[in-house]
Amino acid sequence: MPDKKLFGVTALFDSPDGILNAAKKIKEDGYKKYDFNTPYPIHGMDDVISSKPSKLGYITLFFGFSAAAFILSFMWWTLAISYPLVIGGKPYFPLPAFVPITFEFTVLLAVLSTVFGMIAVAFNLPYNSHPLLDTEYMRNVTSDKYGAVIEASDPQFEENKVKEYLKSLGGKSIELIYEPEELKLKVFEPRFLVFLTIVAVLSSAVTYISLNKLMYLPPFDFMLNQKKGSAQEESSFFADKHEMRKPPVGTVARGFLPYEFLGVADTNQFYGNPLLPTKKVLALGQEKFLTFCSPCHGNYGDGSSRLMGQFPPGPTLHSATVIGYSDGKIYNIITNGQNVMPSYAYQITREQRWAIINYIRVLQRSGNPKPSDFTAINKTDKESGNVQN
Amino acid sequence: MSKIESGYIKRELPKNIGNVGLVLLVVGIILSILAYLTDPARAAFAYLTAFIFLICVGLGSLFLVTLEYAAGAVWSVPFRRISEFFASSVPYFILLVIPLFFSMHNLFTWMNPEVVARDKVLQGRMVYLNVPFFVVRDTVIFLIWWLFYALLIKNSRKQDISADQNLTSRNIKLSMAFIPIFAFTISIISFDWMMSMTPKWFSTIFGVYLFAGSTWVALAVLTLVAVLLTENGYLSPKVKRDHYYSLGTLMLAFTVFWAYIAFAQYMLQWYGNLPEEIIYFIHRWAGGWKYVSLTLVIVHFIVPFLILLPRSSKTNPKILVFVSIWIIAAQYLDSYWLVMPDMVNNGFIYSFSWIDISFPIAVVGLVIVLFNSMVKKYNLIPLGDPKLQRSFDFQL
Amino acid sequence: MTKDYSVELEVIEGNPSLRALDDVIIKPIDARPTKKYNILLSITVTLLLIMAVCIGLTFYYGVGLWGNNQPVAWAFAITNFVFWVGIGHAGTLISAILYLLRQQWRNGIARFAEAMTIFAVICAGMFPIIHMGRPWLAGYLIPYPNTHLIWPNFISPLVWDVFAVSTYLTVSLVFWYVGLIPDFATLRDRATNKVKKTIYSLFSLGWRNSSRHWRHYEKVYMILAGLATPLVLSVHTVVSWDFAAAIIPGWHSTIFPPYFVAGAIFSGFAMVSTVLIFVRTVFNMEHIITIDHIEKMNKIILLTGSMVGYAYIVEWFMSWYSGTPFELFTAMNRAFGPYAWAYWVMMSCNVFFPQLFWFKKIRRSIPITLVLVILVNVGMWFERFVIIVTSLSRDFLPSSWHNYHPTIYDFGILFGSFGLFFTLILLFAKTLPVVSIAEIKSVSKDAQPGHNGGD
Repeated sequence: MPDKKLFGVTALFDSPDGILNAAKKIKEDGYKKYDFNTPYPIHGMDDVISSKPSKLGYITLFFGFSAAAFILSFMWWTLAISYPLVIGGKPYFPLPAFVPITFEFTVLLAVLSTVFGMIAVAFNLPYNSHPLLDTEYMRNVTSDKYGAVIEASDPQFEENKVKEYLKSLGGKSIELIYEPEELKLKVFEPRFLVFLTIVAVLSSAVTYISLNKLMYLPPFDFMLNQKKGSAQEESSFFADKHEMRKPPVGTVARGFLPYEFLGVADTNQFYGNPLLPTKKVLALGQEKFLTFCSPCHGNYGDGSSRLMGQFPPGPTLHSATVIGYSDGKIYNIITNGQNVMPSYAYQITREQRWAIINYIRVLQRSGNPKPSDFTAINKTDKESGNVQN
Repeated sequence: MSKIESGYIKRELPKNIGNVGLVLLVVGIILSILAYLTDPARAAFAYLTAFIFLICVGLGSLFLVTLEYAAGAVWSVPFRRISEFFASSVPYFILLVIPLFFSMHNLFTWMNPEVVARDKVLQGRMVYLNVPFFVVRDTVIFLIWWLFYALLIKNSRKQDISADQNLTSRNIKLSMAFIPIFAFTISIISFDWMMSMTPKWFSTIFGVYLFAGSTWVALAVLTLVAVLLTENGYLSPKVKRDHYYSLGTLMLAFTVFWAYIAFAQYMLQWYGNLPEEIIYFIHRWAGGWKYVSLTLVIVHFIVPFLILLPRSSKTNPKILVFVSIWIIAAQYLDSYWLVMPDMVNNGFIYSFSWIDISFPIAVVGLVIVLFNSMVKKYNLIPLGDPKLQRSFDFQL
Repeated sequence: MTKDYSVELEVIEGNPSLRALDDVIIKPIDARPTKKYNILLSITVTLLLIMAVCIGLTFYYGVGLWGNNQPVAWAFAITNFVFWVGIGHAGTLISAILYLLRQQWRNGIARFAEAMTIFAVICAGMFPIIHMGRPWLAGYLIPYPNTHLIWPNFISPLVWDVFAVSTYLTVSLVFWYVGLIPDFATLRDRATNKVKKTIYSLFSLGWRNSSRHWRHYEKVYMILAGLATPLVLSVHTVVSWDFAAAIIPGWHSTIFPPYFVAGAIFSGFAMVSTVLIFVRTVFNMEHIITIDHIEKMNKIILLTGSMVGYAYIVEWFMSWYSGTPFELFTAMNRAFGPYAWAYWVMMSCNVFFPQLFWFKKIRRSIPITLVLVILVNVGMWFERFVIIVTSLSRDFLPSSWHNYHPTIYDFGILFGSFGLFFTLILLFAKTLPVVSIAEIKSVSKDAQPGHNGGD
């Protein structure tokens, strides 16, 4: 038999006074590694074991406050930020209504954290292989006797001395406790690896089957096959075979005023240009003009279409007619189309249309400059040092 | 048990305590009379606040005495006499209420026949809220309280000399009878004097609310005096930190209980938002009252709760004294919050006034004077109580 | 005969040795079930099966099988829910609150009471789930990220209920288990059967009664008791808010929270008494669960019953005082309307009969106590029934009035829930120690040092 390592020496006492007196003596006599095992907590033992109270209360406090903060933020975020709904006329963050849940959740987390803290940290449990377990000593101590154990790792420990000492304190049934035989558990033992593999395969298989196969089989597919029509499906119910219904004619989107003269090309009432010819507006106008208008009307609005005759070229925008058009008339033309030109209402937004019109005015002016324009240009050139004739 | 065994030495409190009490009482009375002469309506409200506070302290202390008997509590026996001394204001309620009876027309809207004529609800209540019935029932209630006080105290004092256990049995029976009567009478007092001030309002939990605050402040005055007396050798060297711990725990428990009741009342009426109910809280949120309400939550709940939560503070005499004084002040603020905002129902405009201070001064003076006179005549510990030895053995 | 107040009352009668306590408490666990036990178990399991059948049919055919209808949309299901949650409260009160009040007599009954709490809450928790139209979709109620951005309505008292009851169940289970750890250790060391020994070792987590561990254990127990106390008060408060937050007359009353809590403790103690009276005789534990304990419980029943009576009276008064015709009508309707019979059963069982406990002779008589506590439970069930059904069947608009008629499935589930409860109790009594072994030892005579001279 291999040499068993000694864990410690134990002794049993018959009464709570006996164990308490013995405990006090053991502490006085300078032992450091000792413990007592009693069927229930003994008053006064705490002072012998430790002079400081248990610190578990701090765990409770910390987790309690964190829980409160968390759940309040969660409720606030869901009901005030993510999808604010007015419920019962109450504000989005009704603090009195949040108090009950906050309280409950705080208590829940405080309790769970304290108990787990106790078991894991303070007790270092579960610990089913402690040397004292499954001994005659333990059988007595969980029933009706009070026990003391002095461990071999104590600096003052010497087997016979300790045995005599415990006897002198009044201890009975002195017992030697040995460390349990160490089970050499290698992590890569073949049986364990096989077990791990089986667990891995089983859990992946179950997950895969349930999520990828089972969910598509009746009755679990009830969310897939719902008795409702989806927007893009063919409909057996509606006459036009479309599941999706269009809004009725004349429906107007919120915040959107329809253009009064949509489809009315020969109106003589026009809107005014709401945009001023600022740099930003003109840059936008230029960009959109070059994209949409220049293929037919040319890059400078002079009618030099680059469609190579595949499509009738657009007229020049520098003609007196076009210069005479009001901004609103040009807007109407872009929106409704004119002659061969189609409506560009779907390609160019309203703001862009007004910006393009501003840019067209710039082009027109550059095509027909006034003498004063040149003076202004020369002045600017002189100032910037660009003197050209 | 003999004085020697308990370590109790009967002696009087230092002279200045009696003197301070007397000065406060006299000054308070003078100021109060001045208040009535200058602004009777205002004085009525301030007096009502002080009177409710006095009921809380006096009647609450009597309740603590009966609670100890009924529950068979052991640890609180050395302190019972202190609560008895604080309950000594109970016989005076019937006198002190008289100025209030004469000021009722200022306090209550239902006293105003024009208002009642316009309001169906108030008309319906006239069976209950009319002057004769009101005066009679409240007088009867004060007399009942006086009766119980007299009987209980007589038995308790007799026991100092005779150590007869039958007296304890008798007091237990009296306490068992008192407690349900206390529950109903304190509710009626709260309905009559405070709930009826807001015309259409009602709340079934109102009696419980006053009960919670009253027991809380009674515990606070008990703790304050018990700790101060023990630390200065007036009680008994056998009173331990364990006893302090129990006092502190009870104060903590009632802090939470008050907050629970107050929150239940507020939350339900806020949630339902019914006009006849929410008016009460609108009055307590309008103008500057918002800040008083929020202060009340902090001062009446959060601060005492946080102070009393750690174990160490419940055994520390300095902290206990501090928090007791805090609680007494907080309960006065509660009384104030209960009464003052309802001034607006009768058409008065509220603003803080010196009158609000004159009555509390008188109340504090009265309590001190009564306590001091009791100490001169009777023992501070119930020497004859059979549970006294067990209470000294008490440990956590 | 005057009682001697200067003497501490012994918790356990006689002076059994610690090992004798072990033996008497563990005996039912080791012994084979007796004939009586088997007969009792078959009765409760039958009831349980009746409930299972009724619930199964409800799932299959829908809640239409029940008597619920407009306007009485809440009837038996919620009545039973509140009833069972209320019964659960006694357990935590005994375990936690009496522990904080240092009432040592609670040690003999705490384990059983806590177990009853857990079983009662299990019975209760069933009802909110089965009263849904499609209970198998209940999982969708849990907040999970979804594209519809649908979140639970945290403002609703029903959601507060979910948090409260599930927290209560979890905390009760944890509290119960923490108390069981030392007892599992005792069972482990006495077990001879290898299977039992393994199970007990597992559950005892290797507990070895070390004083170093007891220090932390006591602190945690104190923290748990301190947290469980406000929790138990808050749970029935939240349940009461299910009703009080509505503005229906008869429901919207600020006193509901303390009134419901007092009522819960009232019915809970009555149920604890009922069961313990049987347990102490059947398991020969009359010296651990003594007549003094029963008397103390009866006093608490008297106290809480009186609190409930106070609430009734204040509500009557206030229904008149409020001047609202609806409130007054509700009060009258309860006493004299179509459900007046239920109301008077409630009144007599909750207010009149428990007043008999003022008399010491009745408090100390086991047979009368048994009758009275069963009546209390009946009364408390009717109280919830009266509150819910009378207020719903006749609220604001007379054109909406309609009476409620329960169906056989309602009754099946109600009585069946008792089957579930008692089955669980019977199983518990045979597998776990019904009295907390470590705790009862700690309050036996001379258990703590200082009373003896020393070894």
